[in-house]
Amino acid sequence: MPLQDKYRIAVLSAYALVLHGFEAILPMPIPWLRLGLANIITVVALLLYGFRTAMTVTLIRIILASMFTGTFLGPAFMLSLGGGVASTLAVGSVHALSQGLFGPVGLSLIGSFFHNAAQLALAYLLFIQRIEAVLLISPVIFLIGTSTGAVNGLIADLLLKNIRKPVPDKV
Amino acid sequence: MKRAIRDMTIADRVLLVMLLALSLTGIFIVREAVPLTAEVIVEVDGRAVFTAPLDADKNVLLDSIHGKIGIEIKDRMVRINEAHCPNRLCMKEGWVSQGVIVCLPNKVVVFVGGRGNRLNKELDAVTG
Repeated sequence: MPLQDKYRIAVLSAYALVLHGFEAILPMPIPWLRLGLANIITVVALLLYGFRTAMTVTLIRIILASMFTGTFLGPAFMLSLGGGVASTLAVGSVHALSQGLFGPVGLSLIGSFFHNAAQLALAYLLFIQRIEAVLLISPVIFLIGTSTGAVNGLIADLLLKNIRKPVPDKV
Repeated sequence: MKRAIRDMTIADRVLLVMLLALSLTGIFIVREAVPLTAEVIVEVDGRAVFTAPLDADKNVLLDSIHGKIGIEIKDRMVRINEAHCPNRLCMKEGWVSQGVIVCLPNKVVVFVGGRGNRLNKELDAVTG
């Protein structure tokens, strides 16, 4: 791995960690509701530097954040890891296969959808085991996830425009 | 922000509308298709010792103060079919589909219904 890649991954992971920590202290009407701000960094990393960087940054972010909050290897960590890996995989493969069909907003939407789907599946398999409870809550979760995913995508788009501005032919 | 919204690709917009429509219709479809299954919660001496969905027929014997106590779930109704207390008022209560069955000598409370019953109970616990 070239030195420059390491710097990029370190900087992006630091951004993602800060966003992850920041949204954890935001008061929320529903306790499990999260904005998924750190996924902005995943999308940006994917579009700027490719899938491997995005996945590395996501893994570093989830593991370090869970260590800082003391939930490493706990149930919340399992859900977080499953959702993060599934959404990064989905976003990465869609980005590779669709050849620029989706912009940052579309990728962020796909990411939020698979994040929620994986978390619901994991929650069902590991903790709840009552299919009707999962079915009842899932459309609400997907609705909220779609809204936050769209906003995160727009922010990612703005961020990408800003990063690309000084060097237009960077990517 | 305006520029970002304008720069969304057609696929982005289609995906956004599709996901919003799917989850919105999903809320209503699921609400129709999956009835809020009520639960049976049995507490002995203040501790929940048994929980079961109301829509599955079941017959259980639980330990209480005066020997075993029998709880029967059938056709979305609950009754106490065995108790060894002096008056057996709980058995006389018969089949219950909503609310509570109480057996004071045994310190047994059977909650029938959804989470609402439990919430009411918590409110009582705070105010009382």
